[in-house]
Amino acid sequence: MSRKIYMILSVLLIAAFAISACAPQATAAPDRPAATDAPAQPAATDAPVATEAPTEKVTITWWHISTADEHKAVWQKMADDYMAAHPNVNIEITVLENEAFKTKLTTVMQSGEPPDIFQSWGGGVMNEYANAGLLKDITADLDADGGAWRNTFAPGALGVYAYKGENYGVPWDMGMIGFWYNKELFAKAGIAAPPTTWTELLEDVKALKAAGITPIALGEGDKWPGMHMWAYLVTRLGGKANFEGALLRTGSFTDAPFVEAGNKLQELIALEPFQDGFLGATYGDEATAMGNGKAAMELMGQWAPAVEKDNSEDKKGIGDNLGWFPFPMVEGGAGDPGDAVGGGNGFAIGKNASPEAIDFVKYLTTAGAQQALVKINVAIPVVKGGEVGMSDPLMITLQQSLAQAKYFQLYYDQALPPAMGSVINDSVQGIFAGTLTPEQAAQAIEDAAKQELK
Amino acid sequence: MQSLPAIPNILKLKKGTGSPRNFRDNLIIFLFLLPAIILFLLFVVYPIFQSIYYSLFNWKGFGPAVDFVGLENFKNIIKDKVFLIALRNGFLIIALSLFVQLPLSLMLAVLVGRDLPGRVFFRMIFFMPYVLSEVIAALMWLFILNPDPERGFINAILILLPGVKAQAWLGNTDIVLISVFAALTWKYFGYHMLLFLTGLQNIPQEVEEAGRIDGANTFQNFFYITLPLLASTIRTSVYISVLGSLQQFILVWIMTKGGPVNASETMATYMYRFGFVRFQLGYGSAVAIYMFLICLVFSLFYQRLTRQPDYLTGI
Amino acid sequence: MTKSKFAARFFQYLILSIIVVIVFIPIVMLIFGALKTRGELLSHPYALPIPPRWENIISILGKPSYSFWPMLRNSLFVMLSVTFGVIVICSLAAFVFARMEFRSKGWAFNLFTLGLMFPINIAILPVYFVLRQMDLIDNLWGVIIVQTAFQLSGNIMILRGFFTAIPAELQDAAYIDGCTAFDFFWRILLPLARPALAAVAALTMIMSWNDLLVPLVVLNSDKLWTLPLGTMQFQGQYGQDLSLVSAFVAISALPTILFYLIAERQIVSGLTAGAVKG
Repeated sequence: MSRKIYMILSVLLIAAFAISACAPQATAAPDRPAATDAPAQPAATDAPVATEAPTEKVTITWWHISTADEHKAVWQKMADDYMAAHPNVNIEITVLENEAFKTKLTTVMQSGEPPDIFQSWGGGVMNEYANAGLLKDITADLDADGGAWRNTFAPGALGVYAYKGENYGVPWDMGMIGFWYNKELFAKAGIAAPPTTWTELLEDVKALKAAGITPIALGEGDKWPGMHMWAYLVTRLGGKANFEGALLRTGSFTDAPFVEAGNKLQELIALEPFQDGFLGATYGDEATAMGNGKAAMELMGQWAPAVEKDNSEDKKGIGDNLGWFPFPMVEGGAGDPGDAVGGGNGFAIGKNASPEAIDFVKYLTTAGAQQALVKINVAIPVVKGGEVGMSDPLMITLQQSLAQAKYFQLYYDQALPPAMGSVINDSVQGIFAGTLTPEQAAQAIEDAAKQELK
Repeated sequence: MQSLPAIPNILKLKKGTGSPRNFRDNLIIFLFLLPAIILFLLFVVYPIFQSIYYSLFNWKGFGPAVDFVGLENFKNIIKDKVFLIALRNGFLIIALSLFVQLPLSLMLAVLVGRDLPGRVFFRMIFFMPYVLSEVIAALMWLFILNPDPERGFINAILILLPGVKAQAWLGNTDIVLISVFAALTWKYFGYHMLLFLTGLQNIPQEVEEAGRIDGANTFQNFFYITLPLLASTIRTSVYISVLGSLQQFILVWIMTKGGPVNASETMATYMYRFGFVRFQLGYGSAVAIYMFLICLVFSLFYQRLTRQPDYLTGI
Repeated sequence: MTKSKFAARFFQYLILSIIVVIVFIPIVMLIFGALKTRGELLSHPYALPIPPRWENIISILGKPSYSFWPMLRNSLFVMLSVTFGVIVICSLAAFVFARMEFRSKGWAFNLFTLGLMFPINIAILPVYFVLRQMDLIDNLWGVIIVQTAFQLSGNIMILRGFFTAIPAELQDAAYIDGCTAFDFFWRILLPLARPALAAVAALTMIMSWNDLLVPLVVLNSDKLWTLPLGTMQFQGQYGQDLSLVSAFVAISALPTILFYLIAERQIVSGLTAGAVKG
């Protein structure tokens, strides 16, 4: 009897083998040695002998998180076009979801063999990798030919991918956070124009509540949406000098603007402007509320309209009713009202990347490539000439606002080391939940800073 | 074949008597155990030792581990309020599992019983949550627990009752743990029910009938006859339940990430946050060691309490 | 039926039915989600999907870019290999622990129970390192080996308990008749242990089919992806298409459910057999 079971299992196993044999399978990955052999190759591949079979293939590994169909297709097409023009290059793309990407990247970093090109938000996380020697210094490539490549980028955006003066990656998208609002709901509450000061914002919130409208949609269960509010308050109250002081340890995260930001936040929270259950809500819930016209505004980044549309019932969002205004100035604040808090996406270059990989990244950041992204509304371009063809008026307003900002603050949970970013997220959530006072939150962040920013 | 030499073999192969001298027996022991031991050493023992090593460092998870801090991580963990919350939540979940989920599974096993028409149907339905992945179970429960009555099924039903308001199941720090536990119970009760069904099947019907003949009613029959005979199955269920509760991660992480403000934090979410999110893998490894030690202590305690081996059923 | 028996039966069915409904709610939502568009699902998750949007399911089964069938093949291959490996390795080891004596037996068995106690999320990093040394990264065999290793502890315990319950007299009789230990294992023990083996197989298959972490970490090439990794295609940086995820998951869960329906009788009814009571 037992023989039968083993037989059946063996047959099933053989069948599975047979089935899977029909599917093309890659097995071991002997690619990395080829990539590190790179230095000898450029001379050979530049030879314009079309009939010569490429003997030394270079493989480029690229991990990105743009899973949306259109976006994924755009990246794939660029890779295909590049491979067609460079037959000796093979580009292997791995598309991952955000959280899965971070998990997988951690394991790979621990083994010391990062992919050649991978998604990066710059700032603290990228700095850690650079510090550990896991990234390739591409400053020379950027400065080559009198800075040919470097000058195509908006300097602020490029700076996000630099560490201690050296560049380890390049951006392809950089935006800012602002208030997206529903014009119709504002009108219903009798608000004539978007607020330009903090006091006006609070007044508008009261007006919306009186009209029975949820003033602000917030997915604080995910923690980072609320963190941006606090970040903006700090930036408006303390400005560049304040943050840099705390960062460089000449100041502290318990300085007045950090605590005052918490106080201001509490003023807002006291008005109960958020939807029910916001403490456990996700960002998806926030976008759905906006997309279905259930809330008057959300403080969110440049991807907000796209997600609102996707999450809305009719896939159209609130259409022309959507407006944008920058975070209002805070009376008595030392920060410039035009300062921007934001972030974007970019490519980090792994330490084993071949010159072909860097050449491919150059290709990915040409004006033409940027325009392709702008066309499907997934990026705010950072390369000169990329903004040609930008048609969405809101995006244009946003981009201009960003361009005029004198100071650009990368999201706190990206700008600072990841340990600190996580503490900030948790502490600000505490302010929203009423379990932490502004002083306690600031202290928690300062404690983390003492640990991380030695 | 072998007649006389076989007799010493019998004695040696009975449990608890002597050790085999026979070369073939030794070879069998060695060969049979070999694949398991190799895999186990490579993928379980080695990672444990590696984690012990890294827990002594302040380490970001990449690059060389150079910042040796000794037992500092361990000390800091115990001092951290959030870890204590996670510990408390872990024990709460265990308590809830033992006093809510276990009796529920047992009751259902008894109700489904051995001769109820349609029992196969019920068994299949109840086991189905176990078959689905934790990820999808968590996503579905996120949906059901949505605070907006137009989108959250439970709240939609709740507001039909007079005077009852919609609850923020995952946003209210007081009830978030209960909500998570509800999802956990939904997922795993079928598995435990199956354990109990198996145990029940192995109790000869004659015993229960004898009890009935002697005049015991259903309840007495259950408590004085069935339950004691189920003891070994209950012990197994408890063991698996406790270990599982302590290591529960994916369901909690996807539903609440341990929040809001750590209200539903478990040791596993705590470990993941420090290890993977905050890039403090030395600290995270130390948390893993703590989890391991707690499970180990429980395991030893369990073995001491349940000296006799399980004869009635293997599971 | 007597009146009291009728009341008891009614009560039984009532409670069971209530539980069935509760159990079904998330599953029904999953099916609804599969049949709605993303927007409909997010705004009205529990309304009936009318009209049912079959395009989710059709596109998943039909569009090659969604890679459903290759992923199905990979999942199948991994699952069957892992199950086969687990059954073979665990029954061999459990046999030794249950029926043979040697000096370090207790110690060795306790070693295996350690495997139940260590959280896998941290273990995955050293595991990745070992696989890299063995050059099994981006290889389905890497996934298979690791999943098998992680399943050893629990299943050895289950099988050992089962093997222990088989009476010693059977073993004595076998040896008197001239069986070696291996003969006893192969011809007598395993057939008797069929239900336990079936249970082990079922549990292992479910675990392997649903496992996300190990394939995620080990596999790079999307030609090798297993089904759980497939849901990532619908999850973006800022949001996910839950209706496609639901459809994908619903379809992926079908094979396990089907297998369970078929094997369930074997697993449960087999355990009632009088073989063990001898």
